[in-house]
Amino acid sequence: MRYGTRLIIFISLIPFIDLNLKAFEIYGGLGANPVETMIHTNGIWGLRILIATLMLGPFNRYSGLKFFKQLAKPLGLVALFYILNHFLSYAIIDQGGDLKIVIVDIIETPYLIVGWGGFLCLLSVGVVSFKSLQPWYKKNRSTISGIVYSSAVLGAWHYYWNTKTIETEALIYCLIVCVLVLWRVKVTQGKL
Amino acid sequence: MILKIRKENHIKSFEITPEKSYINRRSLIKSLGILSANPFFSNAFAESNLPHQKPLDFIKNNQYSTTEPVNSFEDITTYNNYYEFGLDKTDPYRFMTKFKPLPWTITVTGEAENTGTFNYEDIIATNQLEERIYRLRCVEAWSMVIPWIGIPLLDIIKKLKPTSNAKYVAFETVYRPNEMPGQRRRNLDWPYIEGLTIEEATHPLSLLAVGLYGRELPNQNGAPLRLVIPWKYGFKSIKSIEKIHFQEKQPPTTWNLAAANEYGFYANVNPEVNHPRWSQARERRLGLGFFGAKQPTLMFNGYADAVGHLYSHLDLKKYF
Repeated sequence: MRYGTRLIIFISLIPFIDLNLKAFEIYGGLGANPVETMIHTNGIWGLRILIATLMLGPFNRYSGLKFFKQLAKPLGLVALFYILNHFLSYAIIDQGGDLKIVIVDIIETPYLIVGWGGFLCLLSVGVVSFKSLQPWYKKNRSTISGIVYSSAVLGAWHYYWNTKTIETEALIYCLIVCVLVLWRVKVTQGKL
Repeated sequence: MILKIRKENHIKSFEITPEKSYINRRSLIKSLGILSANPFFSNAFAESNLPHQKPLDFIKNNQYSTTEPVNSFEDITTYNNYYEFGLDKTDPYRFMTKFKPLPWTITVTGEAENTGTFNYEDIIATNQLEERIYRLRCVEAWSMVIPWIGIPLLDIIKKLKPTSNAKYVAFETVYRPNEMPGQRRRNLDWPYIEGLTIEEATHPLSLLAVGLYGRELPNQNGAPLRLVIPWKYGFKSIKSIEKIHFQEKQPPTTWNLAAANEYGFYANVNPEVNHPRWSQARERRLGLGFFGAKQPTLMFNGYADAVGHLYSHLDLKKYF
């Protein structure tokens, strides 16, 4: 991996490092509801980095800069890392690791079903991204791409559906994801 | 974590005069009963956020108070849902600096003999203040235990002499977008409005709170006066009350207007009636540290003995 890529990956992990430093009270803190802060912070950065990863698509296509092409996979894996922590914070810390409660909670709660769907999409892409599966990965690039876009759609929806009132930030993510999906569809159709 | 709670709470935090504790910051942390000692207190929770509100004269009312551990002053004043100041939990204490709670008046109108405008100072002077340690359960499924100082709403209402037409009491918060930055956005229809049935408003538990931890309310907790209706979800406990109106018809309420299928008029804490998007069966009691497990939610937030009879005729699944 080139140094530029490594630098960007490191920068994208800063929120995670910051969150954990606060969790272990090295500095600052997570506030009065630390579990909620942990779940939220992991989730929101996972979503942001996933969206940034998808933005690499049009950026690569129109800028002519080759550098960002190799950023997509590592950045996507960082997003998966955040979402994995997001889910584990919820399952282990929030619900005490009780699998039964977690399953029931997810089944009963629509926005959690959506979130779990998004997580599964991203997880499946992460799993097949290993070197040993490279030939398969290369052959099925468009399917994989579709799954990643789906993950972003489900993630943005999951966040939006969890807000009590209409929050600007949630709306913005939904909008950006819609635009990205539309763009990708147009590209596939050969129109852009 | 459990051991930590027991050890630090043998000192009843609310029995210590705030003055004594805030001179030495280290003992402030212990004596305010902060259940998980936290450098967050020393960095972000600046000097200006230490209790500096005016102390109040009050008596303790143990009849209605819980004996559960009380949440820390820091938690109570830095984790608030007060969208008038912003949507994040930390927005209210960060952005409340322009809000001026005094001078303050409450205007009473409607079906009552003694309508008119009343000063905050007169209300404090002519009523006995009590300390009530209540659980507060948010609809988002977290809760705290808070040592409120206030006046039984029943006493206030008795003095206002509502007529027999007064079946409901409506409340309204101030509208000051220049002092409350969150009101410049239409996340909710401002000003915030709430209401209770006259039976709920005159129930002995209903409190018009003017303070907490022995001092006047900080801005982020609804200064200078707010309701505390402990058997209902927190959004019923309207803050910074400017208007009271006695009326015959059920009043509209802000959260019900925002999402009628999610927030009802009664909003009684009920583990058997879920929010459409999340379960209400369990809640997170704040202050138990990172691994504090969620606990089961109690019917009427544990006040069923006191208020259950008000709703014996009501289908609580329909009238949520």
